[in-house]
Amino acid sequence: MGCDLLSADSVSFSYRDRSGVVPVLHDVTLAVPEGGLVGILGPNGSGKTTLLKLLAGLLTPGQGRVSLRGQDLARMPRATVACELAVVPQETHPAFEYSALEMVLMGRYPHLGRFAIEGPDDLRIVRDAMAATGTSALEHRAFDTLSGGEKQRVVIAAALAQSASILLLDEPTSSLDLAYQLDVAALTVRLNRERGVTIVLSTHDLNFAASVCRSLVLLRDGHVIDTGPTERVLTAPNIRAVYGVEADIAVHERAGHLTVVPIRATGAQP
Amino acid sequence: MPARRRFLLALIATVTTVLLPVVRGCALDSDLVLAQAAPPARIVSLVPSVTELLFAIGAGPQVVGVSSYDHEPPAVEKLPRVGALVDPDLERLLALRPDLVVTYHSQSDLEQQLARAGVGTFAYAHGGIKELFTSIGQVGAMSGHPKEAAALASSLEGKLAAVRARSSGKPRPRVLLVFGREPLSLRGLYASGGIGFLHDLVEIAGGEDVFSDITRESVQATAEMVLARRPDVILEIRADPVEPALVSQEVAVWNALASVPAVRNHRVIFLTGSELVTPGPRIGTAAERIFAAINQ
Amino acid sequence: MTAVASAALSMSPPVRRRLVVGVASFGALLIVSCLVAPLVGSTSISLRRALDPALPFADNVDAQIFFIARLPRVLAAVVVGASLAAAGVVFQALLRNPLATPFTLGVSAGASLGAMLAVTSGVALAIGGVSAVPLASFAGSLAAVAVVYALASARHRGFSTSVMLLAGVTMNAFFSALILFVQYFADATQTLRTIRWLMGDLDIASYAPLLASLPLLCLALLVFAWLPRSLNLLSLGRDQAEARGVDVVRAQRLAFFSASLATGAAVSLGGPIGFIGIIVPHLVRLLVGSDHRVVLPCALLFGGAFLVACDLIARTVLAPIELPVGIVTAVIGGPFFLWLLVRRAGGRP
Repeated sequence: MGCDLLSADSVSFSYRDRSGVVPVLHDVTLAVPEGGLVGILGPNGSGKTTLLKLLAGLLTPGQGRVSLRGQDLARMPRATVACELAVVPQETHPAFEYSALEMVLMGRYPHLGRFAIEGPDDLRIVRDAMAATGTSALEHRAFDTLSGGEKQRVVIAAALAQSASILLLDEPTSSLDLAYQLDVAALTVRLNRERGVTIVLSTHDLNFAASVCRSLVLLRDGHVIDTGPTERVLTAPNIRAVYGVEADIAVHERAGHLTVVPIRATGAQP
Repeated sequence: MPARRRFLLALIATVTTVLLPVVRGCALDSDLVLAQAAPPARIVSLVPSVTELLFAIGAGPQVVGVSSYDHEPPAVEKLPRVGALVDPDLERLLALRPDLVVTYHSQSDLEQQLARAGVGTFAYAHGGIKELFTSIGQVGAMSGHPKEAAALASSLEGKLAAVRARSSGKPRPRVLLVFGREPLSLRGLYASGGIGFLHDLVEIAGGEDVFSDITRESVQATAEMVLARRPDVILEIRADPVEPALVSQEVAVWNALASVPAVRNHRVIFLTGSELVTPGPRIGTAAERIFAAINQ
Repeated sequence: MTAVASAALSMSPPVRRRLVVGVASFGALLIVSCLVAPLVGSTSISLRRALDPALPFADNVDAQIFFIARLPRVLAAVVVGASLAAAGVVFQALLRNPLATPFTLGVSAGASLGAMLAVTSGVALAIGGVSAVPLASFAGSLAAVAVVYALASARHRGFSTSVMLLAGVTMNAFFSALILFVQYFADATQTLRTIRWLMGDLDIASYAPLLASLPLLCLALLVFAWLPRSLNLLSLGRDQAEARGVDVVRAQRLAFFSASLATGAAVSLGGPIGFIGIIVPHLVRLLVGSDHRVVLPCALLFGGAFLVACDLIARTVLAPIELPVGIVTAVIGGPFFLWLLVRRAGGRP
């Protein structure tokens, strides 16, 4: 319920490279309600990451517009956007050695003046974020000595510390082991439910999306094939259309959510 | 550990590469004078001082090619040029069909190439006045004019002795002899050190080289060194003439070091002329000019 | 440390404490080195005599050595060391590579080419007490900066650091070739002087070059004060920085120009003195962490102190002759750099 926090209206985007113009997204429209947990799904090259970057304001649409609380994102100053919207990239490789605490503290930057130094309030918010992501014990560890899952949770903590109402996650589980995937999945759901954080994530892992997201956007070749609540969108015909795969979709008793089991490729490449 | 072994190998390779030319240099440390039945009829000289010596002892007609930097005596202006220390042109050299080539001591590659082509070489070693006289004798021998060489040597000795005599008994001023620096600045200042023919000239002319204690031919002198050594006379030596307007500007640059006696007493002197930088037959003139400058 | 004190310390983020301790310690180091260095040298002087008002300055050798030979030199070392160290920090953040140096992008190669041309052409020129070589060398550095910036901005996607890096490396190679070409035409004395310049020379013997470079360095410093927060975020990655509110293109441009300006001025003053731009940033990071709000000011202070010390060694270790200061920094820096590489190769998977 509630108004749309973040939305894309007829957004199109193309990259320009040496060979000319490469269209990536065509006339994409989607809406993220406040408190929503939206997943963007699609095969490689379908434009998931591009769409996420457009929603984050890191790219400007060639056509159409992305709106944050009804305002055109492209016209908003970056500092203002940063207070509302936080991005968790697929991987983070800082060029220098920072501690986990320093990494999370950097999430406070949008709220500090240029020459301000973080104060006790900021530290409290940061510690809070680290507690929420289960990374408090890692405070003084060097970031690059952490495991993949720990790193991802620290980066999520930094995004949380940004006190943003919207979290955008790009392939949050693609480089993680199974256990960490479950960790991050549980964390995502918890953040959304307990703290009311609006979450949009892109993934190619159908089961992860099914376990976490309440609504989905299905992309193929830059077009939205379907969008809506997970149960309505995650159907065998849609999977066939988007991935060219015959799959069995059913609610898994023990897991408690829809699961997708690919059976075979249809041979008809989409 | 592979990283450590790699490092060791790299270290050994570097050390070997550095030492190799040193070893080579030592092996070739002797004058390669090819004994000839008859004196060489076609000499190419890459060394301007040796060119001058050859002409001074009457071997001028035998010289068929010179270096890019040769300008004395005037006769060489008509001769073909074959490069110099850094860039000797082997093709042009050989095209002149020489039977003897005068090279620099450090041009070992060139010497090897010429030896393979069957051409004799005479390696000139730069040094002080003593080495100059040795060179005169060698040049005389190898060009077939030993008597003229001896005459030249004794004439030069006479001139130098005359200068020495005039300066003896006089007080010996401390002399800083500068042969290069950045124009209009005291940076990059190169002065004569305690060895070499410039140093020897200063001593003969009755001066005391401020850098006598430093056993190098050239010293990069910093402001502190000049201030500490307090020269009474500063001689700025240049091969090429300097415009008079520029000379007074360049002299004025020294005013920054006001406590130096040479500056206080206005004894900063510019001397230009190629005889001042070429250790050859005109060294007598050079000594006389330096004597005059020190005692003006 | 009492439980209360440690609790209090853990209440505030580490950066404030590190900044205070870092600036205080490195600042003290700089002050001490500046006080000691002018008094020490190959000639012994007496400070009392140097400051004796009874002796006219023109007659006072101790004063002349102190005020003309040594003090400008020490000040030049502070300025050059601080500039190169800070430029190193900024370039490393800009290029997201801890092995970047102020010379990576070709600024110093351009400066060296300018200097070579001045020496070989023998042009006699002095503007405001600054002679031809520093002027030409600064012009050369500006030319190099212009070319690299033009190449890096040519792509429509704003500013590309990877193109900038390639352009810089190419400029280095190109200018180095031109330098060799120019040296080929130099006579013996000019060759001596150019080789010597390339090894670094802080014996400026006058305050004019310092005063001339001051406005440039103040400009660079102003930007350096503005940069650290952006540098922290930039070091996480372009998208990450932008997502946290950094105007990435503007920050990159400012970083590039300020660091290049500082490098160009420093190289024009004292020649391309190597290794400071990499040793000092790394040592400082080892001691105070990687937060640029602490690293940048500490690198400025430590860079100055470090070069003052190296110059002191350079002019005393082989007295009465002097070693070029670039050799001292190389002798210290080379092994340090190797150790850094080994440490990085061993530590990271």
